[in-house]
Amino acid sequence: MSHIASEQDKAAPDRPLGLYVHVPFCASTCDFCAFYQTKPTADGVERFLAGVANEARLVSWARPVTTVFWGGGTPGLLAPRDLGRLADIVRSHCGGAPVEWSVEMAPASVTPQRLAALKAAGVTRISMGVQSFQPALLEGLGRQHTRAQIYRAYEHVRAAGFASVNLDLMFALPGQTETEWADDVREAVRLAPDHISTYCLTFEEDTALWVKLSQGRVKLDPEHEARLYEATWAQLREAGYAQYEVSNFARPGHACLHNLNTWRMHEWVGLGPSGASQYAGWRGANVADLDKWLELLGRGERATEDRVAATPAQLAEDALIFGLRMNEGVNLADWRARCAEAPWAMVDALLARCNAEGLTLVEGDRARLTDRGRLLADSVGAEVMEAFSVQPVVPA
Amino acid sequence: MPLTKYTRNFCIIAHVDHGKTTLSDRILEHTNTVAMRVMTDQHLDSMDLEKERGITIKSHPVTMTYRAKDGHDYKLNLMDTPGHVDFSYEVSRSLAACEGAVLLIDAAQGVEAQTVANAHLAFAQKLKVIPVINKIDLPSANLELCTRQLEDILSIPAEEAILASGKAGIGIEDILEAVVNRVPPPRWATYPQLRCLVFDSLYDSYRGCIAYVRVFSGTIKANDQMMLMSNGQKADVKEVGVFMPKMTKIASLGAGDVGYIVSSIKNTSDVKTGDTITLAARPATEMLPGYKEVRPMVFCGLYPLESDDYEKLKAALGRLRLNDAAFVYSSESSLALGFGFRCGFLGLLHMEIIQERIRREHDVDIISTYPSVIYHVIKHGGEKIDVDNPVNMPDPGTIEEIREPTIRASIILPNDSMGDILALIMEKRGVCEHTDTLDQNRVMLRCVLPLNEILVDFNDRLKSITHGYGSMDYELGDYIASDLVKMDIMINGDPVDAFSCIVHREKADAKGRQLCEKLAKIIPPQMFKVAIQAAIGGKIIARDNVREMRKDVTSKCYGGDISRKRKLLDKQKEGKKKMKQIGKVSIPPDAFIKVLQND
Ligand SMILES: Nc1nc2c(ncn2[C@@H]2O[C@H](COP(=O)(O)OP(=O)(O)O)[C@@H](O)[C@H]2O)c(=O)[nH]1
Ligand code: SF4
Repeated sequence: MSHIASEQDKAAPDRPLGLYVHVPFCASTCDFCAFYQTKPTADGVERFLAGVANEARLVSWARPVTTVFWGGGTPGLLAPRDLGRLADIVRSHCGGAPVEWSVEMAPASVTPQRLAALKAAGVTRISMGVQSFQPALLEGLGRQHTRAQIYRAYEHVRAAGFASVNLDLMFALPGQTETEWADDVREAVRLAPDHISTYCLTFEEDTALWVKLSQGRVKLDPEHEARLYEATWAQLREAGYAQYEVSNFARPGHACLHNLNTWRMHEWVGLGPSGASQYAGWRGANVADLDKWLELLGRGERATEDRVAATPAQLAEDALIFGLRMNEGVNLADWRARCAEAPWAMVDALLARCNAEGLTLVEGDRARLTDRGRLLADSVGAEVMEAFSVQPVVPA
Repeated sequence: MPLTKYTRNFCIIAHVDHGKTTLSDRILEHTNTVAMRVMTDQHLDSMDLEKERGITIKSHPVTMTYRAKDGHDYKLNLMDTPGHVDFSYEVSRSLAACEGAVLLIDAAQGVEAQTVANAHLAFAQKLKVIPVINKIDLPSANLELCTRQLEDILSIPAEEAILASGKAGIGIEDILEAVVNRVPPPRWATYPQLRCLVFDSLYDSYRGCIAYVRVFSGTIKANDQMMLMSNGQKADVKEVGVFMPKMTKIASLGAGDVGYIVSSIKNTSDVKTGDTITLAARPATEMLPGYKEVRPMVFCGLYPLESDDYEKLKAALGRLRLNDAAFVYSSESSLALGFGFRCGFLGLLHMEIIQERIRREHDVDIISTYPSVIYHVIKHGGEKIDVDNPVNMPDPGTIEEIREPTIRASIILPNDSMGDILALIMEKRGVCEHTDTLDQNRVMLRCVLPLNEILVDFNDRLKSITHGYGSMDYELGDYIASDLVKMDIMINGDPVDAFSCIVHREKADAKGRQLCEKLAKIIPPQMFKVAIQAAIGGKIIARDNVREMRKDVTSKCYGGDISRKRKLLDKQKEGKKKMKQIGKVSIPPDAFIKVLQND
């Protein structure tokens, strides 16, 4: 199965292809974390690297990789030498230099040596999980870095000369006031990164925070969250960061191409435990367990979780759900052309209603969310899903 | 000399807690009969509710032998009577099976609303009433007041009153002597054919329907062929017996006897309370007087809280109906509440009891819609229809007049709550026709109220205004024409059937506003604008908006894990499927339930 070249490879070799590598190691577990991660051991890292190499060979994509994204976990936790080895594996399958290569790092483990290894490998973009500048809030999240470490790490990153730097911030943290959040945003802006991501704290099942929520020790306040969202949008717009997705803001030319490509429903291959792929007509994720991932790989199996056919109708549906979340919106005409059999009448009716209620704007071929609609993107997404579920999707 | 000379049939009537059970036990002890309480504990497992509320729904008759001072052995049949006005027809049939009634009055409480109602029923049946002032052992006993109330309110001569205490065992013999000497022997014993009055029936899973009867004339025994006079239905008699108090088989039942008949009839609903049983071979020509088809007066929809419980609820209703022919139900479905049943009850208490039993004994959680009464609707051109569900109210343009049932209520209350109670009666569209002073502290009001006005909170408010001292009893009155309208509640223009109601025009605005407000508050914030409106025949009289949802976006979509995000949205979409769709609006089913429960 894995050797079947993607239709997109043959039809349009210039279409973007993303490569995601999930590096599943973290020093400790953050309270809000629902990602697959485990404690790094020398043996674990060895086996992981071998696994990634195997998996890349197994998929063996035909066209060049456009963007690379190392997420986690904390990719930046690997030793400089291991970072180099992972980069070698990736590069050997890229078919040339990718236009964008992002690596996620945690402030506590940013060192000049690691940065040098990454820079040398061709990494173009560092994404740093700052979350907050307030010590008390960082403490509350179970994050393992100090304010001083953030500044030092940022200086190192800038000194290393990457083309693009992102800072991740989180808001609606338990106990966080609107002023405190505005201060965090201001502080991030002061550092002048190229890109800022702001994530509203979500309570995902099986996290320490979820337990607190279910015990009533923290409370949800959607009204407060909405105000923080709106304040963020205004504050970052004024600071010269254009919003291009619910949580993402960039200076001109610095939007994350890798993410844009996933939201536009292009193709990507995910390597590593829990890595998700959408490639060659399929969508699926690797098993979220280092040992099981390796075991399956040994049998030549991957992307076995939630494996579904990425039919044109399925892609059209998701292009709407994820496209609407972007400020550029979604090009309806393109998708209508790619998938005539989707229930467009239902979609049109839904959009007409959303337009009338001030949730969406349809201008020419494009549909996008208004500010109010963006705050309700999940409801709109669920409505889109419902519209598509009305008519059975014709299997490709 | 007729065999009935030494038989007396009587009952004890009293307001709740005036000591009927205690006194009955004493009488049984005195006549060496097994105590009623023991019986109750042993044989009637499902009647906790009755005990709790101090009311009796099922009759527990008992036959005793008493050696009177005149030296003769008397057969005394003590009838039990349901203790509440909802069952006034059943009470009247139990009373009709007697010739006398012991009327108990708590010496410390005096006459209460139920005392008056019961006494009037007994007079109506032409029973000899024996007044007993009970609990005279209490330090707070006020004999003078009680006797005066007897005379003033019930027109019973004070000298007739017997002083007793069930607890202390005072006056028991006096009461039994009075039963023997004052209560006449069985009536109509010389009628030429068999006539038995059915005053209750019981469903037994092995033997089918067991009819409780009072034989007026003739004899009946196993293997006779009997006939129900209301509809001519015939059946074979399998067994007859008496209550000792346990059901005890005997060879035959004769004039004056109280006992039971087991026949080939299975369903209790076929053996109607008040019917006359005669012999198929030699039938009587006239039924015993007073037979009436009982009709439910109060209706509501009952729905399972969990739609999975529908079958369980259905089975529960079926079983309750087996033993309670006065309770009726049929299936109905509601947009808001799903599948359920339209149920008819004799009155409010009956409704409460059935609902409680469904919950407790059958373990089904239920929600009920607003209770309704039967309206008589006269259409242009004279056609008359009965409407027990607001949903079935015809188009207002076709209606000439709507008539609603009333009640005649006796309300007893402390003087100092008079103003508030009169205001309450006014609010409930009632008219007060009479005021009697009971004693220094209490008055009795007689008033006429629309039945639908007392359905919801009248009794609770009466109790709270009077700090628990007020009591009310009522009988059904006439139908009167009223300015009634059907009010619909609409969500974005689509009516929600469960909230349709029939209200007096003057109250529609307030009620409409209140309902809209409540729904708007309880329905969770919505992504689209949702208007809640109250309307009368297309005219909007009140309106509110459901809060708009502010924020539900979740941000994380990392590393291309589309499926994870989709799962989240899918959950949301699936959640919506479980909701009730009113037009395009999805509303969690418990929102409607919460609104109904809040009342
Ligand atoms: N002091 C006193 N209390 C009594 C007497 N008879 C009954 N009671 C009490 O009054 C309450 C109601 O008695 P019960 O026989 O159950 O009344 P019922 O509701 O009419 O059947 C109970 O607490 C009894 O103990 C009595 O003669 N004297
Ligand atoms: S660093 Fe990231 S992946 Fe690691 S525990 Fe924290 S949130 Fe999870």
